Amino acid sequence: MATRIFDVVTRPENVAPKAKALLSELSSSDTVAYWRRVLRMAALCHDMGHLPFSHAAEFLLPEGTTHETISAAIIRSDAMKNIWNAMTPPLRADDVVKLALGPKEAKGMQFSAWQAILAEIIVGDAFGADRMDYLLRDSYHAGVAYGRFDHYRLIDTLRILPSPPREKNVGGDGAESGVELGVEHGGLHSAEALMLARYFMYSQLYYHCVRRIYNVHLADFLTNWLPGGKFTTAVDAFLKLSDNEVNAAIGEAARNKNKKGHDAARRIVTRDHFRLVYERNPEDVKINPEAGKAVYAALVKELGKGTVHHDFLPPKGGAPEFPIRMNDGRIASSAAVSETLSKLPVPSVDFVFADNTVAAAARDFIEKSRNDILNVEEN
Amino acid sequence: MESLHKMLVITQLARELAARGSWCGETHLQKATYLLQEIAGVDTGFEFVLYRHGPFSFDLRDQLTYLRGLGLLELQPQEIPYGPKLLPTDSAQALAQKLPRTLARYQSQITFAADAVRDRSVAELEPLATALYFTKQSGFPKAVSARAEKISEVKPHISRDRGRRAVGEVDKLIESAKKLKATTRN
Repeated sequence: MATRIFDVVTRPENVAPKAKALLSELSSSDTVAYWRRVLRMAALCHDMGHLPFSHAAEFLLPEGTTHETISAAIIRSDAMKNIWNAMTPPLRADDVVKLALGPKEAKGMQFSAWQAILAEIIVGDAFGADRMDYLLRDSYHAGVAYGRFDHYRLIDTLRILPSPPREKNVGGDGAESGVELGVEHGGLHSAEALMLARYFMYSQLYYHCVRRIYNVHLADFLTNWLPGGKFTTAVDAFLKLSDNEVNAAIGEAARNKNKKGHDAARRIVTRDHFRLVYERNPEDVKINPEAGKAVYAALVKELGKGTVHHDFLPPKGGAPEFPIRMNDGRIASSAAVSETLSKLPVPSVDFVFADNTVAAAARDFIEKSRNDILNVEEN
Repeated sequence: MESLHKMLVITQLARELAARGSWCGETHLQKATYLLQEIAGVDTGFEFVLYRHGPFSFDLRDQLTYLRGLGLLELQPQEIPYGPKLLPTDSAQALAQKLPRTLARYQSQITFAADAVRDRSVAELEPLATALYFTKQSGFPKAVSARAEKISEVKPHISRDRGRRAVGEVDKLIESAKKLKATTRN
């Protein structure tokens, strides 16, 4: 998918004059060919550092390590370097790392305008191939239709466009300097469908409360089962641990009370998961923006720590804003053109769960003490 | 900084920008927060990297989305072709009323950052914030020419003269912030 996007946006007739002027790389066919290959390899390697069950237990990596830093370590490993060096021309491992991780995660690496655009093709907030790919794949495997969108049409209309004017002139020169991934006006509805698919997948699948609580029980199991309660970051050992090994260990621990992580494993296998007792809502947020945190703290005082859990995951990424080339040739912000995109809600997670044995008591307590619980007191 | 205080500081910064008639889109909020942190000394904890329009924090971008999700900021679309504004809501005002002492603690720094950004366009904020980025980078030469040259090197569309002017403006802002900090301490 990333290579397909690359081919569309670098096709000479699709490149806007300003993009041509800013991206000198486009004028050399050898350079374009080199980076096309780097991009393809980076897209393939982007998720190599994923842990068993992907993001569920990423906090069990040692401090300062993320799945992206592991992806980078694998890309720079001797085994992968042999592959990069065997290519014609050889690829620089650091170039692959840059595009695979993007400016957010490739700490300390500086990106040229060209490299920033290529990284955006893989990890971009709006049109990253990683995002398009996982929405389509996950909706297929989960058996839900709302993650699908017309990615063929969308990709065909993607362009490297000048940044839209982000303001009316406020003193001085208001001209924008950069280029970004955007769409032709004809692709706007496909872009809206992508953003809606993303919203539906997050709000109904990824952030479904029962799916989320299994993350918690899985993380609890791994904390007890992994040596030292942490994942290893040594590349060879890391690559030997997959979902299969963890699934087998969960099955074994669920059957044997003496095994580490027995309780969490039993909960997963017998579906004895914690129950949702509180979910943040707009009315409570008006009283206290950290409503989930406040409810959790109150429940811990009331019921004890081991029987409740606060699951909080703030949203990632920015507003769905990107440049659109209008039919008259003007470049406009998607927020100005699309009412749908400007009103898209932001999905996030702020749940409180309780053990089934105390769930009813927890709900009663919240109902009776809601105002006291949510009250904000300044330190 | 506590997360509730961070919400208050960011929404109040948006309020102060809007009150000054400044454009208040994401880029302005990004640069104002960068100045607030690096010059006015408010430790918001955001990590900034050099990006498309100068220093940019992906964490702050996440935070702005979070604040929208909570209903403390709202995305206000503008006429074609302009980008949206991010404006504080009544709920943000209610939060400020619940945390008067915290607001008082940061108000003068917020005012300073909003004043520094108010009349500048995105195209003007880029060299200014980039100049600050190299000024704050440890071990980087402090000479005006060295910083201006570096700005032009990483942002070829910014001339050395423009870079030099930006460095001068940053040095002035840092000087005024010293007075601000002294006043705040007293």
